[in-house]
Amino acid sequence: MNFSEMIAASWSSLMANKLRSMLTMLGILIGVASIIAIVAIGQGGKAAVITAIESQGAEETIQILPREVVEPGLPQPGQVLKFTDQDFQLVQGFTGVASVSYSLYGQGVVVYRNHQVNASIQAGPAQLNDLAHFVVVDGRMFTDADVAAHRSVAVLSQSLAGKLFGSGIDPVGKVVRIAGHPLQVVGVAASTQFNLFASILGADYIYLPATTCHDFFPWWNITEMDVRIAPGTDKADLSQRLVTVLNIHAHNPNAFEDASGFLIGVERIVGTVTSILTLVIGAVAGIALVVGGVGVMNIMLVSVTERTQEIGIRMSLGATRRAILLQFLTESVMITVMGGSLGILLGVLASWIVHWTTPLPSVVSWQAVAVGFLFSVATGVICGIYPANKAARLDPIDALRYE
Amino acid sequence: MTEPLMALERVCKWYPVGSERLTVLQDVSFAVYPGEFVSIMGPSGSGKSTLMHILGCLDQPSSGRYVLRGRPVDGLTGDELARVRNREIGFVFQNFHLLPRMTALRNVELPLVYAGVAREERRRRALARLEEVGLRDRISHLPNELSGGQKQRVAIARALVNKPAILLADEPTGALDTRTGREIMGIFTELHQRGVTIVVITHDPGVASFAQRILHMLDGRLVGEERGRGA
Repeated sequence: MNFSEMIAASWSSLMANKLRSMLTMLGILIGVASIIAIVAIGQGGKAAVITAIESQGAEETIQILPREVVEPGLPQPGQVLKFTDQDFQLVQGFTGVASVSYSLYGQGVVVYRNHQVNASIQAGPAQLNDLAHFVVVDGRMFTDADVAAHRSVAVLSQSLAGKLFGSGIDPVGKVVRIAGHPLQVVGVAASTQFNLFASILGADYIYLPATTCHDFFPWWNITEMDVRIAPGTDKADLSQRLVTVLNIHAHNPNAFEDASGFLIGVERIVGTVTSILTLVIGAVAGIALVVGGVGVMNIMLVSVTERTQEIGIRMSLGATRRAILLQFLTESVMITVMGGSLGILLGVLASWIVHWTTPLPSVVSWQAVAVGFLFSVATGVICGIYPANKAARLDPIDALRYE
Repeated sequence: MTEPLMALERVCKWYPVGSERLTVLQDVSFAVYPGEFVSIMGPSGSGKSTLMHILGCLDQPSSGRYVLRGRPVDGLTGDELARVRNREIGFVFQNFHLLPRMTALRNVELPLVYAGVAREERRRRALARLEEVGLRDRISHLPNELSGGQKQRVAIARALVNKPAILLADEPTGALDTRTGREIMGIFTELHQRGVTIVVITHDPGVASFAQRILHMLDGRLVGEERGRGA
């Protein structure tokens, strides 16, 4: 009996019990579909988080922070090192450094007439739009001249502008207040990165020139130095030299660090956490596959019992035990492969639906599809071998007499 | 003298029942020559079914020798026995034993499937056999769409499709009315006249009488032999 005949024979016996075959497939289908979907969503989520973290760094800028901020674990207030004016003068003198500035971060209440919105304050150089990943969609960005002159100008995120002014009013040119200080709105900004954290951190930002912010909040420590590098400079090399010199100046070999170190650390943690989560949920889905496999085994045992006489007839016509074994094994693998294939389709479909309807991106990898397929073949073999063997071991005389 | 097609030499069959032996066949010896039509007749419990299983290589003797076409069959492995059943024996059963989900044609093709014959050749040979038993126009019917006599004709076509040494029939008319039973025995006679070797096992003297030789069994022994009408 060759392969195509085996397939045809199995197909006709599955068709003889359509409902039963379909219900048996369903168990495998659900198992494989959930594995594919969970792995896809897990991997997609991980990729998105890592992209979001990586996009925090800007190409032509080195961000230097105190090590306490960079290392995992919350820094103790008051222990955190800050940069001094001398540090900035020191760095300014390096070859390869185009300009040096600093960024300030904080929270504050932004007021326009009777509207008050709690917003995140980000202050920095005129290139802050690169560092904080936004583009000005209305009005203009503040300039080097604004920074140098300590001008009271601000750029608002679209979300903040919407909450302060509502629709129908152009925010550009209006004056808002922060801690009592008036600020003229010069532009409205839209984020350029996929912001996975937006829902947690909020999207209400007010962007100020670093100098202006420092004037308003002189007690805020300067804990981030932004070094713009000149074209053609080796970023890694310059970063290492800057950190070394700043550490010597601070009399502390571990005082400062390049922020990319922090990002790599976070990336690793996030990667590990999502991998473990995917594995755990995937294992739960694997249990569904095992349950499906038990169903296949059960049905195959029923099928062997029901077809005992058929087995006897086939043996009397010259079927070897191997032929009987393969016939039933083909049937059970056919059930699981059909269930598995439909499960792959459903899993891909489910991860697409998740991809298009939720902020979680999902990526169906060919590895997950291959593993899903192999799992269904393996389930068919493992759960089919016992019933098939039982069929093959029947005594032909007993089988023929069975009613 | 020609070589016997099948020969039993002092064949015994017993089953262990507790510490005792239940002997079903006791020193059975006989031979069937090519082209013969033999009946084995006896009441139920005489051991004729066990004999038929041994002749059909579904079972093996406890002692003694069984030689089929010059080759001893005892001591063959399961796969070798399956091959002998496939090539040398054609079974016809009382209850037809057709596979219910297969058409008449597919049922007849089945032994050729296990013999590894290619699809086209299989179909050609199966069609030829069905034509011989007069069922050319019923090839696409499922067994439950056929009458008892038609089912038995399909079974005969199936038994002969792989050109076996012997056609072995176990109560071939047992599930049929008298008239249809006679028709089937008519087919056997016709096949015999064309040179097919046939062994029929029955309890019915009317059926047995179609053969050339009738062997009588009682309590696991061969107790006599007479000539039948077919001689």
